[in-house]
Amino acid sequence: MKVSLKWLKKYIDLPEKITPKDIAYDLTLRTVEVESVENIGDKFHNIIVGSILEVKKHPNADLLKVCIVDIGEKKPVQIVCGGINLYEGEKVVVCTPGAEVYWHGEGELVKIKETKMRGEDSYGMICGASEVFLDKFFPPKDEKEIVDLKGIDCYPGQSIAEALCLDDIVLEIDNKSLTNRPDLWGHYGIARELSAIYDVPLKELPKLEIDSKLPKYQVSIEDKEKCRRYVAVEIDNVYEKPSPLWMQAMLVNVGLRPINAIVDITNYVMMAVGQPTHAFDRTHVEGEKIVVRNASKGEKLLLLDDNYIELDTDDLVICDTKEPMALAGIKGGKKDSILPETTGIVLEVANFSAGTIRKTDKKFDEKTDSAIRYEKNIDTERVSDGLSLSLELFKELFPESKVLAYNDVYPSKTERIEIEVSQDFLDTRLGKVLDSKTVIGVLTKLGYEVQFKNNIYHVVVPIWRSTGDVSIKDDVMGDVARLLSFESFEAKPLPVSFEHAVGQPKILLERRIREYLAYRCGFNEIFTYPWIDEKYIKASKIDASSAVRLATPPAPELAVLRFSLVPGMLESISKNLRYYEDFKLFEMTQVYEKGEYHESIKEEVLPVHKKLITGCVVNKDAKKCFYEAKGVIENMARVCHMEELSFVNKEKPAWADINGYLNIELNGELIGNLGLISIRVMDEAKIKRTNAVIFEINFDKFIPFASRTNEYKPLPLFPLVEKDLSLIVDDNVLWEDIVKVIKGKVRELEFIEEYRGNQIPEGKKSVTLRFKLGYNDRTMNTEEINNEMQAIINSLSKKCNAIIRDK
Amino acid sequence: MIEKLDKIKNSSLDIIAKINSIEELQDLRKDLMGKKSELSEVLKSLGSLEAEKRKKIGIKATEMKNLLIEKLDEREGYLIDQKSVLEEPLDVTRPGDKVNSGSLHPITQMCYDLNDAFLSLGFEVYSEDDISSEQFAFDNLNFAKDHPARQSMDTFWLDGTEEKSGCERLCLRPHLTGGSVRYLLEHGAPARFVYPGRVYRNETTDARHERAFFQYEALIVDKNISFSSGMVMIQTILEKVFGRKINVRMREGFFPFTEPGYEIDMECLVCGGKGCKVCNHNGWIEVMPGGVIHPNVLKSANLDPEEWTGFYINIGLDRLVMMRYGVDDVRLFHSADLRFLKEFK
Repeated sequence: MKVSLKWLKKYIDLPEKITPKDIAYDLTLRTVEVESVENIGDKFHNIIVGSILEVKKHPNADLLKVCIVDIGEKKPVQIVCGGINLYEGEKVVVCTPGAEVYWHGEGELVKIKETKMRGEDSYGMICGASEVFLDKFFPPKDEKEIVDLKGIDCYPGQSIAEALCLDDIVLEIDNKSLTNRPDLWGHYGIARELSAIYDVPLKELPKLEIDSKLPKYQVSIEDKEKCRRYVAVEIDNVYEKPSPLWMQAMLVNVGLRPINAIVDITNYVMMAVGQPTHAFDRTHVEGEKIVVRNASKGEKLLLLDDNYIELDTDDLVICDTKEPMALAGIKGGKKDSILPETTGIVLEVANFSAGTIRKTDKKFDEKTDSAIRYEKNIDTERVSDGLSLSLELFKELFPESKVLAYNDVYPSKTERIEIEVSQDFLDTRLGKVLDSKTVIGVLTKLGYEVQFKNNIYHVVVPIWRSTGDVSIKDDVMGDVARLLSFESFEAKPLPVSFEHAVGQPKILLERRIREYLAYRCGFNEIFTYPWIDEKYIKASKIDASSAVRLATPPAPELAVLRFSLVPGMLESISKNLRYYEDFKLFEMTQVYEKGEYHESIKEEVLPVHKKLITGCVVNKDAKKCFYEAKGVIENMARVCHMEELSFVNKEKPAWADINGYLNIELNGELIGNLGLISIRVMDEAKIKRTNAVIFEINFDKFIPFASRTNEYKPLPLFPLVEKDLSLIVDDNVLWEDIVKVIKGKVRELEFIEEYRGNQIPEGKKSVTLRFKLGYNDRTMNTEEINNEMQAIINSLSKKCNAIIRDK
Repeated sequence: MIEKLDKIKNSSLDIIAKINSIEELQDLRKDLMGKKSELSEVLKSLGSLEAEKRKKIGIKATEMKNLLIEKLDEREGYLIDQKSVLEEPLDVTRPGDKVNSGSLHPITQMCYDLNDAFLSLGFEVYSEDDISSEQFAFDNLNFAKDHPARQSMDTFWLDGTEEKSGCERLCLRPHLTGGSVRYLLEHGAPARFVYPGRVYRNETTDARHERAFFQYEALIVDKNISFSSGMVMIQTILEKVFGRKINVRMREGFFPFTEPGYEIDMECLVCGGKGCKVCNHNGWIEVMPGGVIHPNVLKSANLDPEEWTGFYINIGLDRLVMMRYGVDDVRLFHSADLRFLKEFK
């Protein structure tokens, strides 16, 4: 919302030393967020009023004219212009050198310089409305039309900002910070806050009484919940004409477009007191009766643009005796508009409930200025403020106007809230003891009525904040705190307790695993969205029947929420292959599937959540990927301090290669998988010219150690001998078979290498192992070493059919 | 004799200085110091001299011998130092080997920095599950029945539950605050805990807006504490995260689940508070909303608002990370783009 400083000054006299920047800062700290402060006059720098003395033909151009213009200096200046409505004696807008304008109303701002046009000197430019930010004032009918200041009281050399009352400063307020404050949606409300902040008096709004002897205008309210008050005033002798310059300027400065005096008054009232009003052409109201009712199903409302909207039974409409004329509180229809033939109006000043407005404006996507205000829940007494100001303005702008009939139907009045707040409560919660004078002072300035008795404040909330904003004592405390400024309360350190040192092993484990994968194993952590692309779900071959879906997904193909991180990982691999061929990624987050799970209370049934760790190793060499990933899982438990994981070969994951997978177990329970991605899955996921291994493990099953559990083993007292052994075995002999044979016979057994190739017969492979030999009570001698080695070789050849390979 | 010694000395020193290999130096050592060396000859001939002279020349000869040994050792040391383990030239300008180049996501890194800071203040870490219900995401938190955030334009409701209400209407959580009631129901009060996590909003995305983003919320519930303590906490945390004192200000803000609510701004780090494009020329950047926990929220957590009070702060992690590194597009966080992630090694 834009707030004009000139407008505010109608209601309060601000202390002189207060700058616009101060106002912005103080409002931001205490009331609403001011996003920017704009001096509207600034952009009219060097743009002034000129009076055309003479219009001559341009010697070298048919479409240009040479004008001699009085710009208030000693000598008139010559300006070349292409405008089509130039005449001698015309008052125009002149941009002198140094001014910044939109050239032909488009693009970036351009700085005007003294120049020659087709050989003729031109001191600046005579401007069209869109070139100098005046299109709201002077809507151009033709591209080549220049602004004619006819009828405006101004003189040559006067700055345009001053001549058009645009020398104002405007505060831009973040609407989001106003959502709970229906009282601040007009200048008077903001002025009230400033009067409290700076402790200056707030001027009274006009209070006009309507002659009670006037005939009653017929008003019938059918839904008294939705319409709590409706005032109709029939006014004759008002018609379409421009509003005075000062009013147009006020509206323009706060971002509205002047239309005609009648509409401008309604907008002005809304911007002044926050109360929307509406004017119907009185001859269009059939039966001379206003009916406020819910639409019937399928009923139509004709809009200004000749389109119909189809109404439903929960849309509140303003009707005459025949049909709907307007969407209540939101927008008028074609029937009620003010036209050149209008001679009188029915003025509506009414109160509609926030709920109905919000529902209907959302449905028709009509967040009009009026709807935005009603949505915040305005109190019913505001109607009186709006009415008085409207009547005053109609009298001022149309002295010949006459009120013919009137009615004020008032089914339910907003009640002022009453609250009791104890001194004790304020002292503890504010962390500072305030005397009752300060508290009463602050609250009174904001419009509260306060009585202090027996350490209790009996507070009556101002009516403009009694519609939900202030309802409990905490709200009152909040008002005291903000008005004194949060910063004025001394920051008190928190009390310390020595009883509960924080110890959360599972949370620590999660961090250790992430850091292990990233810093020890070289993985990059990724985040993906929880909604996954159907394409990759299909590619992954995982059964998605138990997946949870979104009602309104970001895109139709993104309706499924993840039940596995594998589809997302496939997508990430595929995308990154454009730039990298050798990489490792991991993601650790929750997935969901249908089921019954109570996180907090039994009434709340949530889908089952699992936190998964999913990683991939991408490289052309499939075996390298596999063993690297396996190593990552094998070493995880020891490095990250948790119960050991083990591998089995039981059940192929849907996405895995037929020969290259393992299942991961913890205490005999299957908790994850590891495997090469199958050719088919890679093909469908567009993973090309490479191989990749994926692992996915259920982190929830991990059991962290509460502390370190490994024990120190004494160092060997006697030297150990390191031996390498290269065996040739059948292709189908597994490492596990070899381990079984020599386990217990050697120490620190290691796998070194597996080899197939030139020197190895078909169907065989060479396996190299390394181990250590030694005794606990003495050093081994050569003979003993040779005997041990021979025994090992014998067992291997007997049980694994192994032959020692010559080096 | 003295002259001869001087002559030997000078010529020997000359030769030593010119020797360029250890082998030659060994030979030279023999030539200069061996039994057949000129010096030995001189020393041998000393016997034939009278005592006075013998003593004088003897001293001179010994001095000279020590000097030559010293110079030979020095030269040998020098020549050894000229040897290298390298058989071929080493290009020292070539880059060294790569170390494991993994990385934690910048959001995770920031989250852990904050965890460290809060842990040092005695906070527990809690995490709520991603999917919540209208009951916990809105009803418990004092959101009005017709609050716009409850609509499907704002919140991702789950298919099949969107027309239901309360516990039966499920959603991807739109904020973390619902988790506060879960924790309090489970653990009771007093409590101080943080609950970082990802939240989801149904909105149009651009460089500054995302559908999935990260928050970091902290809550203290205790007796007789005032909201002003929140400011101490915030200052401590920002100081820890940015490694220096950061100016903050507290101003009016409104949230259904707080009363009073406040916004906390930090001084813009880009311009140091002078005003720049990043901070919209006002010198301050909105980093965290907060406020005193609303009595109705305490009631949802079965706590008596007359007895207990407390305050929230909620940090927008994405925004803080963007400030820390100068990242200009929030969508990069969910891109899984390695080119981006590798910058945070």
